[in-house]
Formats: sequence, C-alpha cells, structure tokens
Amino acid sequence: MELSAYAQGGWRLLGDPRRFPRRPYAALLRAAFRSLLDHSHAGLDDPDLKDIDPTVLKHCHAAAATCILEAGKQKADISAISTCLEDCKLDRERIEQFCTEYQKNKDALEILLGSIGRSPLHITDVSWRLEYQIKSNQLHKTYQPSYLVTLNVENSDSGSHPDVSFSCTMEQLQVLLSFVIFSMLGSSCGCNFLTTCQSK
Amino acid sequence: MLLVLSEEQKAHLGCLPRLGGAAVGELGRLAVELLRRGAAPRACEAAARKLNVGVDTIQHGVEGLTYLLTESSKLMISETDFQDSIRVLGFSDELNKLLLQLYLDSRKEIRSVLSELAPKLPSYHSLEWRLDVQLASRSLRQQIKPAVTIKLHLHQNEDQTAQVLQTDPSTLLHLIQQLEQALGEMKTNHCRRIVRNMK
Repeated sequence: MELSAYAQGGWRLLGDPRRFPRRPYAALLRAAFRSLLDHSHAGLDDPDLKDIDPTVLKHCHAAAATCILEAGKQKADISAISTCLEDCKLDRERIEQFCTEYQKNKDALEILLGSIGRSPLHITDVSWRLEYQIKSNQLHKTYQPSYLVTLNVENSDSGSHPDVSFSCTMEQLQVLLSFVIFSMLGSSCGCNFLTTCQSK
Repeated sequence: MLLVLSEEQKAHLGCLPRLGGAAVGELGRLAVELLRRGAAPRACEAAARKLNVGVDTIQHGVEGLTYLLTESSKLMISETDFQDSIRVLGFSDELNKLLLQLYLDSRKEIRSVLSELAPKLPSYHSLEWRLDVQLASRSLRQQIKPAVTIKLHLHQNEDQTAQVLQTDPSTLLHLIQQLEQALGEMKTNHCRRIVRNMK
C-alpha cells in the first residue's frame, strides 16, 4: 500500500507526539472514520482537537482519510497498513490504534466503497395488484384477470427513481415468474461456484 | 339483451334484401375491414361496380352492418337475442340466418379489435436476464458481488420500450415469493367466487 507524498507528510505530523498528543490523535482518527462513514457527523469539532492548528488539522485529516480509503480500496491487511505507517515514523501504539479502529469499520467501509460507481437501476422491491376486468366503454363481458406490477427501483447516484409499472395477464405473469426463477437458479449455481473459487 | 336500432340504422340496413345473399357477405367483409383498417372508399366503389348499385347504397349498407356487428359483439349478445333484435327489420328467414352467421363468424375478430381500443397501461412483453459478478471497481478491488441484470421489454401505446434493471440474489428471492403470492391469489375462494358469479 502506498500513500502520496502529501498524505505521508500528514501522517508524519500525526506520528509526532509534540504536535499530536495521545488524546487528539485518537480524536482525529475517530473524526476521520466518522466523516467517511457517517454523513450526519462530519465535523472536526471534538474538544480534544481545539488546540491543534487548523491547517495542520486539515492536512492530517486528509492524510488519515486517504489512508483509510486506500486501505479499504486495496483490502489491505494489517501488516500492509503497519508497514505503510511505519514508513511515516509512527510508533507501534499509534499504528495499533489505527488498525483497531480500521478493523471496527472495515465492513461499513467496504459497503460504502462498493456502492460507488454507476450501475443499472437496482430493483429493491415489487408491489402487485390483482384486478378482474369486467367491461369497458368499448367492450362488455371481458372477464379477464389482470395484474398491475410495480417494480420499486433505486438509482445508484441519487437513490430515487420513478418506479417501473406494467400490466400483465395471468399467463404473462407466469412466464415472468418462470424467468425470474430461472435467473434465481442461475444465480444460486453461480454463487456456489464463486464460493468454491473463493475457498480455493 | 336486445339491440335497439335507430330509424336511420334500420333505413341503412333496409337495402340488404334488395342486394341479395352474396352481396350481404361482401358487405359484411367490408364492414369488418372498416373496423380493422378504417374507411375504404375505393373498396366500396369497387363493390358498387361489381354489384351494379350506387356507391351510397353500398356505404349505407356497410355502415348499417358495421353498427349491427360491432354493437352485438361489444355486448356479446346470444344467438337468440341477435335473432330477436333483427326481427324488427322484417327480413326473410334466409337473410336473418345469413346475418346471424356473419355475426358468429366475425364476433371474435371484432372483439379483438375492440379490446385494443380500451385504455391501457404499459404492458409486459418479454424479459431477458443475465448473471453478472462484479469483481472490481475503481473504488473497491477484489469484490465478489453477484447481480442479475434484467432487460424488461414493455408495450406502451404502439411502441415497445426496454428497461435495463439489476438486482441481487436476495431481492430476487423476495420477488419470486411476492409474484407467487400474486398468482396464488387468483386461486383463493374469494377470487374464485367473484369469477364464478360474474359469468
């Protein structure tokens, strides 16, 4: 795992006990993880950080965030992270502190990073309504069951998107369901295969 | 249920006995064509020349027959009701039989034309699917994320549209459960009772 020169500079400041005593160091790590993972709590207003020069604070915050994102992106293990931080002259205690915090937030970080990027509209749910058509102004005695299906979809960028609605006959719904079952069977076979690949 | 024919419609249909059986068959064909493809003045002119009558007579005959066949098919009236409805026209038994046969022969097609006129929502046409596994992205390496990509084709008005959607295996399982419930609902006592009593 490699960090840019700017980020390495930030970590050197973070490793300096005169600039960053133990409590501010811990507070900055918490703030860095929170600013990435918890949108509602993104400030550097922790009382333990009030004595740090704002320019240094900003630099160190950027360095910590870069390291977290880079480690998450590469799925770096503890030894890779440790080597990287040792290069920035951090002592063992501080490195362990970072690694503990990283392990705690690793899963959430992976979900966050995995959700970035464009992908087709994602189906999240389905609603349906069954109706029985009796007559219209054009045609009497139609007597046909009909389904109105609404697929709730989500956009990877903005999160919301108009739902996809359509009507179908009972036969069409049966065909649609059989397609969905086939794709489910296909995906469970695929998932079994992937699990085998992963364990090898 | 009996059909109610206005004086104008009776007058239009009044030309049929004069034209004869073969001509009524021809006019019936023109009436169904009129419903399917819209007005065809040239076909009427050709029929008029062939039968050696005025174009107006043919057009009135076709309009009268169109109303008779459309309205009967729309209401899906029984054979007896159809015969009782045209009795007021005072035609011969032979012509009445011919009209009944014309109604029975063309009813299915006319109902299919009429069903296309009903207001419609986008309707299901077909579905294609593909299983993908996301292995890496710019922001996250070494992923194993299965996803089913679905292309849903819909009919909307005269056009066909397609939407590309994606979902994960657990949502897919949920979709299957929901759609199975939807299909199962039609077999419940409640739905069966309604269907039975409607007919």
